[in-house]
Amino acid sequence: MPEYKGMAQPVKATVEDLKKLRLVPVPDEKKVEEAIRLLDEARKKFRSFVLAMESCVKCGLCAENCHAYLGTRDPHNIPTNRAELIRKVYKRYFTLEGRWFGKLVGAEDLTLDTLEQWYSYFYQCTECRRCGSVCPFGIDTCEVTMIARQILYWLGMVPKLHVGGGWGIERVGNQTNVAKPAIVDTLEFLSEEIKDEFGVDVRFPVDEEADILYVPSSADYMLNPYTLMGAAMFFTYIGAKWTIPSFMSEAGNFGLLFDQRHLMRHLFMRLHDSAVNLGVKKIVWGECGHGWRAWKMYLPYFVDRPLRWEITHLHDEVAYYIRTNQLKLDPTRNSQPVTLHDPCNYVRACSPAGPYGHTENMRTIIRAVTVDFREMYPNREKNFCCGGGSAVLFDDPEMYQKRIQFSQTKADQIRATGVGKDGNGILCAPCSICKAQFYPMVEEHELGVTVHGLIDLVGKALVWK
Amino acid sequence: MAYFIVQILPYIAVTIFGLGLLFRLVRWAGARLLGTSHEITLAPFPQSPFQAGWVFLREIAFFRNVFFFDPSLWVGAWPMHMALFMVLGGHAVGFYFTGHQFVYIGMSPELSEYMSNLLGSVFGLVLLLGLIYLLVRKVSLVKTRQVSNPSDYLHLIFLIAIVTVGDIMRYFPQYGMHYEEVYEYFKALILLQPVPEFVFHNWFFITHMLLVQCLMIYFPFSKLLHLFGMFAMRWIENRVHIDPEPGLPGVDVAAARARGTGLPSAGGTA
Repeated sequence: MPEYKGMAQPVKATVEDLKKLRLVPVPDEKKVEEAIRLLDEARKKFRSFVLAMESCVKCGLCAENCHAYLGTRDPHNIPTNRAELIRKVYKRYFTLEGRWFGKLVGAEDLTLDTLEQWYSYFYQCTECRRCGSVCPFGIDTCEVTMIARQILYWLGMVPKLHVGGGWGIERVGNQTNVAKPAIVDTLEFLSEEIKDEFGVDVRFPVDEEADILYVPSSADYMLNPYTLMGAAMFFTYIGAKWTIPSFMSEAGNFGLLFDQRHLMRHLFMRLHDSAVNLGVKKIVWGECGHGWRAWKMYLPYFVDRPLRWEITHLHDEVAYYIRTNQLKLDPTRNSQPVTLHDPCNYVRACSPAGPYGHTENMRTIIRAVTVDFREMYPNREKNFCCGGGSAVLFDDPEMYQKRIQFSQTKADQIRATGVGKDGNGILCAPCSICKAQFYPMVEEHELGVTVHGLIDLVGKALVWK
Repeated sequence: MAYFIVQILPYIAVTIFGLGLLFRLVRWAGARLLGTSHEITLAPFPQSPFQAGWVFLREIAFFRNVFFFDPSLWVGAWPMHMALFMVLGGHAVGFYFTGHQFVYIGMSPELSEYMSNLLGSVFGLVLLLGLIYLLVRKVSLVKTRQVSNPSDYLHLIFLIAIVTVGDIMRYFPQYGMHYEEVYEYFKALILLQPVPEFVFHNWFFITHMLLVQCLMIYFPFSKLLHLFGMFAMRWIENRVHIDPEPGLPGVDVAAARARGTGLPSAGGTA
């Protein structure tokens, strides 16, 4: 169902798809009643949600600060209006003014059509939190999107793409559905690639006892091999005893994006159990934006057993070794003009302020491994989303068109840096979802750049002798 | 009618205002704080309570985000709100000290009253112009029209009505009330005594009172509570967050490079 009454919608998961996650969809005639019950539950639980429902003054500041609205000019993509799709229902059922003066304050009954509208527009929000960070009151519309998606999931309205990821997580521990033999095969192949291209011997230890547990994004096995190669070369270069767990082979966490209860916790426990079984001392995270947010900000509060390991991001570690002059790097190996796309989840949801926060660490690295680095504007926590955030990576024609529109603001930013002028620019996008969005989008917008991770560039710049 | 507005309604309005605020804040507090189930800290991540306080302060005092991300909104919103605080403060201080508040910083009583009048006139006008600007903006921009409900316009129109009546009393003294008279009136109200007779003859004052009391009654149930909302929201988001130290266990880079890990001659990894 790519469209519903003129609204673009991602293809929905079927009853059979949902069965794999043991979810029974709510029948249509009961959906409204159930949605109101779940909304009531959410408002009693999440204060951030209540405040988003009750504190907005409709100043309209968020409109021009949302890439989805800038790209589509669809009024429902104005962040506060997207939240209004729920707010009008919230007012109707849970506030005095909504019950008594319905039309005046914009309160409305919930209908099946409204639920379809939620499904369309809350999967056009990329949960980038730019609206929250520019809002004078800090109203975090991402929280509203998350609650809407959770309710829709429980009703049985969820994209096929997301359920597929969820099923992969339960089955083999990663959302791309790559089982251990395929992982080992791929890694052996990458070892040979490194030998051929860089002339060094690098092994990818899988499920070995080690000091460091490295969790790469599962997309790195297939789509972003240089990121995985870069990480392995870094660990080998510094002489680390490291390993990749096959039981939890996923830096991302699709649970964050549509099921923050079972699915997100399930993956958390996989990490916990892997760390116990392999006797590691520290956990290091690969390049994945939304995943890093889930593991860094949610895991400590959600995991079902006490967490005994520090978890850091690979970027923070590499930046530390660069700052302390322990890596010999040759930036001329990345001589093309480079610009950096700040993944929203790093810079807005995860990075401490100051010179050693993730945001500045990415710059420490990129300046050390490239010769012609150009900032795009706005950058850092003011950066715009790539347009694919929260796995809005749908390939069906209607949603694909939306993705092109969502990335329009970003394309303009990249073009303004001039890195792709001669067709040899590098767009560094150190996040798996950003990469997956950019691979086709740099072609659609004809930006003259190739897409790389940050660790890709580190691997290439390492001087071994 | 006049008797009801100036003698009875104030007690009703204050009660509803107080209980309404309590109801709303308890309702917010009743929802479990998200920060206890996970962190939704939003950039910039403060590194100390002092920095977190600074984030609050710059938004409250300067409307920083509005200034940087929508300057044309700031032009109306910031002066309007600042004037509003001054006018509210001016009401409290001016009537309590009957215009002689500046005597305490060394002015003569006459000069103090003159200053009080001047500040009241200036901020009263800024407030009115700010509100009109915001209403015009709301009506004329496509994006604000798209996000607004009827009540959003009514809030502004209502505030404009209150301020207009207030400004008429300020700019045309024959329609106004002198400091001492207002002092007498409120003293009587607070002491639960009959209010002075002269109050019933000033219809501008009665209208002003009626509108303000209506505002007080609906204020706790409206978006006008956004001041409190901001504190509550930022309390969740602008939290101190410190990262763990970087540095990997069991790693000695110098030794590894001396061994030549990764180089074919060294025979592989660590």
